[in-house]
Amino acid sequence: MAEVSDSVRRQIEALNTRYIRAIDDDAVEEWPKLFTEDCLYRITTRENFSQNLPMPLMECTSRGMLVDRVFGYRRVNVYEPQRYTHLLSGLVIEPIDATHVRCRQNYAVIRTMVTGEMMIFSAGVYHDRIVLGAEAMFEERIVVQESRRVDTLLVIPI
Amino acid sequence: MTELAGGCLLAAMRNEEPLLSWPKEGPTRAPYRVMHDPDIYRQEMDNIFRGPTWHYLCLEAELPNPGDYRTSFIGEVPVIVCRDENGDINAMVNRCAHKGALLCIEPHGNRKQFACVYHAWTYDLKGDLTSIAFQRGLAGKGGMPKDFDVSKHHLVRIRVENFCGMAFGTFSDKVENVETYLGPEMAAHVRRIFNRPVEVLGYYHQVLPNNWKLYMENSRDPYHATILHAFYATFKLNRLSMLGGVALGKDGWHNLLYSAAERDIQKENYEGGHLRSVIRDVGLEDSTFLDRIQEFDDGITVAIQSIFPTCNTQQIYNTLAIRQTVPLGLNKAELHWTCFGYKDDTPELRRMRQAQANLIGPAGYVSMEDGSVGGYVQRGTAGAEDEASAVMEMGGRTIEPQPGVRATEVALRGFWRAYRELMGY
Repeated sequence: MAEVSDSVRRQIEALNTRYIRAIDDDAVEEWPKLFTEDCLYRITTRENFSQNLPMPLMECTSRGMLVDRVFGYRRVNVYEPQRYTHLLSGLVIEPIDATHVRCRQNYAVIRTMVTGEMMIFSAGVYHDRIVLGAEAMFEERIVVQESRRVDTLLVIPI
Repeated sequence: MTELAGGCLLAAMRNEEPLLSWPKEGPTRAPYRVMHDPDIYRQEMDNIFRGPTWHYLCLEAELPNPGDYRTSFIGEVPVIVCRDENGDINAMVNRCAHKGALLCIEPHGNRKQFACVYHAWTYDLKGDLTSIAFQRGLAGKGGMPKDFDVSKHHLVRIRVENFCGMAFGTFSDKVENVETYLGPEMAAHVRRIFNRPVEVLGYYHQVLPNNWKLYMENSRDPYHATILHAFYATFKLNRLSMLGGVALGKDGWHNLLYSAAERDIQKENYEGGHLRSVIRDVGLEDSTFLDRIQEFDDGITVAIQSIFPTCNTQQIYNTLAIRQTVPLGLNKAELHWTCFGYKDDTPELRRMRQAQANLIGPAGYVSMEDGSVGGYVQRGTAGAEDEASAVMEMGGRTIEPQPGVRATEVALRGFWRAYRELMGY
């Protein structure tokens, strides 16, 4: 594996920090801004991913679709108030070229309901393709949830 | 014979006191207690899940080769479905005949035989016991009694029928065949969906925070669709005023909710022999995931079928799926979705099915709410007084097919008719 510079690592960590803050601080309007215009954001499960089964839980193939998901969450879909707490670990960076990298990283999302109920809602691996720069962005984020189960519903992006 | 008398008569024939006396209004009411009473739940496992009913187990397409198996459920009972050396599909309870341990832990795989990890009792693909470890003991000591008859200790066999590529199972030797059980209209709809070979495109598994029956009600309820699922109305995709209706099978045990959405289409053209619909300018930044083709000649764009007790077939535009609801105790159920397409799908149609996945499943724009609304009812009805009941008079009080009617709860009344017949209430 080729070495990546500290500067590249810092760009990626900063992008992931902005990602977590956008979702966990309920500032989801900031979330689509972290992706390129013709990005891919997909949530799937290990069960489907490992068997190459294409049906995703959620799939956005443009930044516009991310904006629509935010609109759905804010204005359209009906669900019980809930918040996420993201935990990240085990970042691996593989350079593609001078301005692009692939990354893998574990994530866990703890979901907290207004009743006080907390659970590990999702845990798995982010498979990313990132374009580097002063403001690095996701070209691709594929979320592979380890469990095949989703509790109740999935409305906030993971 | 009134609804109430019918229920009581059945209970009397079984020589047992009903656990519940149904409200005098009949099938327009369902007591909240049926969502909370552990004795009723236990009786459901016997009377409904082990009763004269058929249960979807898996698709034939998931078992292409001899030895292929999948695990499934009938009610709470774990089940193995497999294809044997002769190509036949068998099903048996996933429970060793020795100590009752689960035989298959993995959800799917291929086996020549099923060996229990606990004491290596081994079964063939028909469920017959073929060997017992140390049957003759060690060095002439121990072992099973000489008269122990392995042929009497097979796995509990489940009657299986393959209807149009759907494998159904039942514990009942009395229930009619699947086609008769469904009735002509419902069988015709299964044939419509499974008109040619299918291929699985993915699975969803959704834990519902409610009694299993609340999801079965929900999937029979066209009244809520455009209210709860605000995405439909916000983006003008489905209105209660659209063409559609309710068809019934077996006097309401089963049903089909259908609608046709051609009025919402803004641009149509024929592509590859299919009518292609494009929806733009509805307020979405990127609505390309709603692009669809009309796959069925009848013009129906959304069709949700309920096969009593816990199976749904689904067509929402170009998404096709089977949904199986598995009870996980009184207050919890798991919804298993098997999404599929046809083997001869064009790459473009495959992409459409995949893009439209955004509509369905636990994160679906028009389905996620079904995951939570049952929980609201479960929690709202906790501790309710004995006589408190749901009211279902939308669309009248009878149980008859209602073509052209969508503001109706007739299919829910059908569910409760079947339920009461089997439960003796």
